[in-house]
Amino acid sequence: MFEAFTNQPIRLIGEDGSRTQPFELDLGVDELLQIHRDMIRSRVCDERLIPILRQGKTSFYAQSTGMEATQIGIAWGTRKKHDWYWPYYRDNGLILTLGMPLKRWISQLLGSNDDVCKGRQMPQHFSDPENHIASICSAIGSHIAPAAGTAIAQKYLGTDEITICTFGEGATSEGDWHAGVNMASANKAPCLFICENNQYAISLNVRDQTNSKNIAVKGHAYGIPGFYVDGQDVLAVRAVVKQAAEYIRAGNGSVLIECLTYRIGTHSSSDDDSRYRSKEEVESWRAQDPLVRFERFLEKEGILPAREEIEAYYGSVLAEFEEALSTSDASGYPTWEILFDDVYSDLPDHLAQQAIYVREENL
Amino acid sequence: MTMQSPEKPSSSPIRKPLNLIQAINEALREELLRDQSVLVFGEDVAKRGGVFLATEGLQSEFGKKRVFDTPLSEASIVGAAVGMCVRGLRPVAEIQFADYLYPGFDQIVSQAAKIRYRSGGGFYCPMVIRTPSGGGVRGGNHHSQSPESYFTHTPGLKVVMPSTPYDAKGLLKEAIRLDDPVMFFEPKRLYRSFKEDVPLDDYTIPFGKAATRMEGSDITLIGYGGVMPDVIKAAEALKAEGIHPEVLDLRTLIPWDREAVLSSVAKTGRVVLISEAPRTSNFMGEVAYVIQEELFDQMLAPVVQVAGFDTPYPYALDKVYLPGPNRILRAAAKSLGY
Ligand SMILES: Cc1ncc(C[n+]2csc(CCOP(=O)(O)OP(=O)(O)O)c2C)c(N)n1
Repeated sequence: MFEAFTNQPIRLIGEDGSRTQPFELDLGVDELLQIHRDMIRSRVCDERLIPILRQGKTSFYAQSTGMEATQIGIAWGTRKKHDWYWPYYRDNGLILTLGMPLKRWISQLLGSNDDVCKGRQMPQHFSDPENHIASICSAIGSHIAPAAGTAIAQKYLGTDEITICTFGEGATSEGDWHAGVNMASANKAPCLFICENNQYAISLNVRDQTNSKNIAVKGHAYGIPGFYVDGQDVLAVRAVVKQAAEYIRAGNGSVLIECLTYRIGTHSSSDDDSRYRSKEEVESWRAQDPLVRFERFLEKEGILPAREEIEAYYGSVLAEFEEALSTSDASGYPTWEILFDDVYSDLPDHLAQQAIYVREENL
Repeated sequence: MTMQSPEKPSSSPIRKPLNLIQAINEALREELLRDQSVLVFGEDVAKRGGVFLATEGLQSEFGKKRVFDTPLSEASIVGAAVGMCVRGLRPVAEIQFADYLYPGFDQIVSQAAKIRYRSGGGFYCPMVIRTPSGGGVRGGNHHSQSPESYFTHTPGLKVVMPSTPYDAKGLLKEAIRLDDPVMFFEPKRLYRSFKEDVPLDDYTIPFGKAATRMEGSDITLIGYGGVMPDVIKAAEALKAEGIHPEVLDLRTLIPWDREAVLSSVAKTGRVVLISEAPRTSNFMGEVAYVIQEELFDQMLAPVVQVAGFDTPYPYALDKVYLPGPNRILRAAAKSLGY
């Protein structure tokens, strides 16, 4: 059992890959290797997207490199396709691990005809009802209260599902964050709030974001447990998330988890991070790479695949990526015909008039 | 092209005189009975039955799981409703006064209004936000506003304001069944101002259909919500002078009944648009725009508008602020004398 409100982040594996404390691993070799592959898949796609962006195939991207342990750990601690998720725009590793097909994600980035969102949103604003992933909204913190609502609905329906809501530490300063967490906790709703504290909200460091000692302590204000976890340790994240999910599933109400991690890339493709942080700082965190740490662990356990095998997996992800990219691109791009769809369940008169106008322009 | 649910008229001979708030209560009760996915919640709606008693008796009839009080947070009331929709429910949230929609504004415009469009139809929001709105109850700045135009300006929302008990029941039931987020404004000064016979069975009124309150051929008076009784008073005064006004009650603003408006104004050639919301960027400006665009050469006079003034709602000057029958008559005279 992990304790809430610890002063130090909860950790299971140290930087050198050894166990920081004795613990029984409830994951088999196949599962550990799958976690490893999930982390690689997220990393490869993230890196591959930078040149894609430079080629102008997409207009915006939010990198997740360095945050894989947090995002993949969350996916592994919850029940895919059973629980419901309100993620945020940087959750590439999370959504891929939850089962969103790579092509569905890339299609959203391109806004092609294969995009289930019909090219309606800027890149990184995915939506995947099939995998219980709610639609991303750019307004920071605006998905917290909706997550509380989904959890209230789950409780009302008598399901054993929970809702997982993720966000950056910047979001925790928004009024709606507090309103939403309070709504969930006051209703004892089965909601797991997870802060992916990557220490920067664009340029603002977390030390200037809040005077709280960390994000997890904010759980005190709402009468819910707050866990402070090493977000570079995939096994710790997964274990704490799993414990919290079980606690919530048992009817105990909401929980807050903070995963302390770091964003290695810039905030977005239009950011210049040299204005607000030093190269040395970035390098020091690059040296604490969560993927490397997990590989050291697998090595110590004697199950790390051979280099060639890992390389081959990198290659297969790249091939999958290129295939998704080219077929999605080949599906073409939306034209004016879908402009007026999905505003409402029907086409009200005033929109019908506007559609006639645009059709005339396109004759 | 326009898909509208057909009007489901009442077949029941059993009617009961109800005021507007009782009609709302009746609609909520019937919908809670009909559909387990309907939940009713908001500030003070359960134990207290709502500050205007719109939800009176509902918690004792349907239990705490279906009708409940929430923390004092409009953002979370609206936001939670969005999240409930994602998991298949049909929430009916009350915002205690339309003046307090603003803390929930982001949830309405960023989440509720856009989730269908932004997810390509993958998610949608069959929710209703009911809220008492408008002036005339000595409520001052923050209990009297008519903010409907903020919401008619937001694609994705449907916007309704009934003015009679019959319409309130039928429109609210329709709103609850629609698969879109509906802003349901209730003109609070009409809550208890009169009763009319309301059928006690299941009927609905489709959105986008104006009601003709009086037929005439000399001038068209168009309003909605709280101003309607004064519009009718003005129309009666005109009639006493031998002028035959046609009176339309829009009932729903998004969608609005273009066809009824244009055919009436084509017939009369004169129109006065009446609302109590502040004048600038008032929804009626859009109605005026469409009238002039479509009927320019058939008009006998310019479109005349009567609205609230562009001041915050004044407590002591309630009567000066609201467009009463005299101001409507003055506007009609301007049109008739053109
Ligand atoms: C309400 C709102 N204000 C401002 C922005 C602009 N903005 C986009 S991302 C961001 C920083 C968010 O930081 P954080 O929540 O820590 O997440 P991170 O990007 O670091 O993962 C800001 C200010 C926004 N999208 N929404």
